[in-house]
Order: sequence, then structure tokens, then C-alpha cells
Amino acid sequence: MSDTDDTTNETRTDGGEAATDGGETGIVAPDDETPTWQERKTRKSGLSQLTYEYFERARREDQELREESDYVERDVLGFPTWPHEIIRNLSISLFFVGIMILIAAALPPSLELPANPSSTPSIILPDWYLYWSFGLLKLNPLNPGLAVLDGSKLISDQLYGVLANVVVVGAVAFLPFLNKGSARRPVEQPFWAAIGAGGAFFSITIAAIAVQNLIPLPLALQLNIAFIGPVVLGVMTYALLKTLREGYMYGLNRRYYMLRPPK
Amino acid sequence: MSLEKQDDYDHRTWLKRKDLTPIETVFLTALIYIDKRLRIVDYLELLEDAYYKVNLQMPKSHTEQYDLDNKFWYWYPLYSLGFFSVLAYIVAAVSGALLGFYYSPSAAGEPTVAYQSVKMIMQDVQFGYALRSIHRWAAQIMMAAVFLHMLRVYFTGSYKEPRELNWLLGIILISLSMVFGYTGYLLPWNQLAFWAGQIGVEMALATPIVGEWGAQLLFGGFTLGQATLVRMYILHVFILPFVVTALIALHVGIVWVQGIAEPH
Repeated sequence: MSDTDDTTNETRTDGGEAATDGGETGIVAPDDETPTWQERKTRKSGLSQLTYEYFERARREDQELREESDYVERDVLGFPTWPHEIIRNLSISLFFVGIMILIAAALPPSLELPANPSSTPSIILPDWYLYWSFGLLKLNPLNPGLAVLDGSKLISDQLYGVLANVVVVGAVAFLPFLNKGSARRPVEQPFWAAIGAGGAFFSITIAAIAVQNLIPLPLALQLNIAFIGPVVLGVMTYALLKTLREGYMYGLNRRYYMLRPPK
Repeated sequence: MSLEKQDDYDHRTWLKRKDLTPIETVFLTALIYIDKRLRIVDYLELLEDAYYKVNLQMPKSHTEQYDLDNKFWYWYPLYSLGFFSVLAYIVAAVSGALLGFYYSPSAAGEPTVAYQSVKMIMQDVQFGYALRSIHRWAAQIMMAAVFLHMLRVYFTGSYKEPRELNWLLGIILISLSMVFGYTGYLLPWNQLAFWAGQIGVEMALATPIVGEWGAQLLFGGFTLGQATLVRMYILHVFILPFVVTALIALHVGIVWVQGIAEPH
């Protein structure tokens, strides 16, 4: 695909045969009323013309990719939400909604004592799903003191906790820009699977820090467990997946090649 | 060619010519009778058209194409977690709207009016305890489902290339859901609520630059009181429902357009 042969290829974008390797595309030919991209393009000027020019290019790009495709696997990016996924999900999800109402009937929530600003309770906790965040707020033992400042801390303990939250959420949000590529299964990327397993475990161990005064262990030991435990689990996951990998990928590849042998 | 001109629209003769069972005769006679009067064939065409439009692009899924079903079916419950979260969200929304008829966000009195209204819901309102129970459990279970949904998306690599923006949207949604839960947690104005609110204020105050401003905005000051309760109430029943519902619609819409990512 080059930039110079725009005129020669223009007719193909609307009228050309769609040759795909997965069978028919199901793309409906526009009826007589529908303007072609080219017609839309000539009617416009400036930015909107540029937009249509890009659309034309994008469409041609898709088509050429389809024609030239020698992919044996991975040519399906996704499969339809409706009806495949929705119907399957309905059957499973409605069952779980039933379970949910059953639990609600069996275990109604209690109502604690009314708010009393003058008596601080010994245990202050948010709902369980915020424990991880609450645990990160209690990381003040790890807030380093600086010798040049006579051992005083560079940032306050509370700010340190808030920053820990920001760092964790930011790292998770940034994930798709760090791990790219078409690999999907954990066995294909043992490193990232190990990160995931360690991270999930860390969300539990850091939640335990939130309830540190209920755990009969010294705080230093609890912090060690909270940070070293996930690393250990990550290393174990990595080793396990590396071991499994060869046999797993062999079976997977054999399945692909049996069904669609390479051209 | 016969001499007598055939009437193309003489359905009765057409019916006689055909060799039909009684059931077929009754069905067709009824259909012709109704169709002559209401012309339902037009609407059938519309329906048919819609059917084919819906089923227009139905490529074989990756799972079907490579016959992976035998390997794959036991992961399906994890694939339904996103949909299940939406259902749980709807259950919470409906029960929450009903709870809203009885709850009043006022920190006046001793114990406060808010606390007493929740107590009234639990003890006096017919099925009030069930309503609050369903609301609370729906919220809890939705949070659990959302966390597991996030893990599923991580471990199947579904956040990758065409779907990064939806991952970011998911992060925003999960954070807003936690704020949703937190604001709801504060509404009964019991001991747990009050002290969880206290931590919220301290957390906001610890944030540099925007901290005090944020505490003023979200908690209505640095000590908890009527202003805090009303702000939490408005966040919980007015602002967050609109924002979160819109974002969920966008999240699901993007999934709809991009298709479900399967592991390969």
C-alpha cells in the first residue's frame, strides 16, 4: 500500500470483492442512495475531506490486510456480544442474582450504635473492599526518615499513605501501555502472569495491614509478610508457568495446525 | 396455459390445490383471514429485516472455529462477571430508590434523624429490613464481582491493544464504585460511619495543594456534621448514580462494538 496510487485504488474501496480468510464478511453493499466514500469526499473540503480521505485509506487498509492475510491463527479479535455472550451470561448471572437475594434474606445487616464523636471505637474500618486502600494508608512505618533532616520525615505519614494509593492505582491504570502484544494466555507471558498473581495476593496482604491491631504478630513481621509474600507467590507462579509452558503451547499449536494448516 | 385467467390472489383456491393436513389448513386459513384485514405480512417483513440485520455479522467465534469449547467452558462463569455486576448494580439501584422513600439525611437530634430513619426502616417498615439487606448485599457482591472481573480481564489479556481505553474506563468505574460504597457506608450515621468519615477527612487533608479545598467540597468542612451527611447523601443518590450509570453504558457500549476478547 503506497501513498501515490490513491486514484487507481479508489474504486476498489466500495466495489471490490471482499476476500477474507474467515469466509464472507457479511458487509452489505451500499444501496443506490448511499453515497460512496469517494462521493462524500468530493462533496467536502478542508477537515471533513481529510476525514473521508482517512476513512477511505482505513477501509482499503483493512481490505488489503484481509487479502494478504497469511495468518493461521489470531485473525479473530473478538466475538459478538449479542447474542453469544449475553445469552450465556444471562443464564449464569440470573442464577447468581437469585443467590444474592437468598443471602440478603438469610443475613440482614446489623445497625451499630449511633455516631458518638466523643468516643473513638477501638476498631475503625471501612467496608472490606476498601481495606487494601486503608492498608496503604497505614504504611507510615516504611516512611523513611532522612539523616540530613535529623531523622525527620520528608513527607508526612498521611501524605505518604495517600501517595501509596496514587502509585498503586496509577500503576494498574498504566498497565495496557506497559504490556503490549497479542499474547493472551498466562502461559504465553509468565512474567506478567506472575505480576498479576503477586498483585492480587498483595491486595490481600495489604488488607491485613489495615487490621494490624487484630493480628497477634509484631508489626515488622506483618509488613515483611505483606511485601515478601506476594513476591514469593509471583516467583512460584513464574516457575510453574515456565514449566508448563512448553507442553501447553505444543498442544495449542497442534490444535491450530490440525484445523488450519499453514499455506 | 389455461384459457381461464388464474387469479394470483385467490388464496382459497391455492389452499385447496395444496394437500394439507387439518392443522396446516386451520393455521393457514386463520393466517390468511388475519392478514387480509391487518396485512401483518408487512410487519413480518420488518421483523425479518431486523432479524437479518442483527445477525448480519456473525463470524464464528474463536472458540467455535478452533473447537476449544471442551477446554473453555469452565471459564464462562468468569466471563459473565461483568454482566453480573451490571445486574447487581440494577438491583442495588432499585432497592436504593425504594429505601430513599424512608431515609432522611439529617444529623439533628440525639440520636440523629438519619440514624432513627434507618432504625425505622429496619424495625417498622414492612419488609424494610429486607430492602436494606438486599441493597447492602447487592453493593457488596457487586464490588466482589467487579474485582474478580478485573482479575479475569487481566489474566486473559483482554485489556490489550484495541481495548486500552476501556481498561482505563474500568479503573475509573471501579474507583467511583468504591466512592459510591463509601458514601453509602456513611449514610446510617452510626459509629462505624462517623469514624470512617473521620478517616476520609484526614485523608483529604493529607493531600497536598487540593486537600483542604477537597475536604471542604466533599465533607463540608473539617469536622463531621450535618453538611457532611447531606453531601454524602447527594453524592450517593444524585451525582454518582448519573455519572456511574453513564460510564457503565459507555463501558458496555465499547465492549459491544469491539466484541468479547477471548484467550487464544
